[in-house]
Amino acid sequence: MSDTMFSTLAVSSAGMRAQSERVRVISQNIANSDTSPEKPGEDPYRRQLITFKSQLDKNLGAEVVKVKNVTEDQKSDFRIKYMPGHPAADADGYVKMPNVNSLVETMDMREATRSYEANMGMFTQSRDMMNRTIDLLR
Amino acid sequence: MTTENIGLFQAMNAKMQYLDQRQKVISQNIANADTPDYKPRDLTNVDFGTVLKNVQKNSSQVPSVRMAATDASHLPTPSDINNARVHKQKMVYETAPDKNGVVMEEQLVKANDVQMNYNLMLNLYKSNMDMMKSALGRR
Repeated sequence: MSDTMFSTLAVSSAGMRAQSERVRVISQNIANSDTSPEKPGEDPYRRQLITFKSQLDKNLGAEVVKVKNVTEDQKSDFRIKYMPGHPAADADGYVKMPNVNSLVETMDMREATRSYEANMGMFTQSRDMMNRTIDLLR
Repeated sequence: MTTENIGLFQAMNAKMQYLDQRQKVISQNIANADTPDYKPRDLTNVDFGTVLKNVQKNSSQVPSVRMAATDASHLPTPSDINNARVHKQKMVYETAPDKNGVVMEEQLVKANDVQMNYNLMLNLYKSNMDMMKSALGRR
């Protein structure tokens, strides 16, 4: 019986691990939202994207969430900023800035936090159930 | 003699095991709430009335549980009614653009339901144990 409970804890903690990885990627994006290139013609920091997949864990007998991969966002365009004095400015004085939209990142961060909390809630609830079962011994 | 040989305790055990399994499935759904293409799962309903009937008949068998008949043509065969199965939910409230069908509220309601039922079972277990202890004159 407690086997199932322990695997519940493992499933929830896998979820928490995946979400904290997501938070890491998002904070990396926010931290680099102004990372400009060094020379003209070079690309600035490219926004990172994280994807999840579910994978059957045979020991637990459940599908846990895993990080599939972290890729670069190739689809959205770089921001162009007019900064003639910048070392990376082109002939017209424009600099390519990262394709990070802080609004999107903030919302993403909030979603990751909520998912983390949901997993945390399941963890706490299962732990309480286990504790109450153990209390039967008293 | 252990409490496991007593029918009532067997029934409570069966229910608690079922709730344990369900808790696992729900936490799996919540962990995969952001996974593309993931469909939420649930356990098939278990007819605990049958479990209780077995107990009342005082049968020594382990109480059997029945699969949900999802189709009118399904007949429960006695040989394979011993386990609740995990199945993908056919009806979901909402599917996200990434084809994820987990609705957090639904899962949390289910988790709460599991917890309440589990606590009920624990309290029942405890009061039955107390009754036995007083019968034994140990309290």
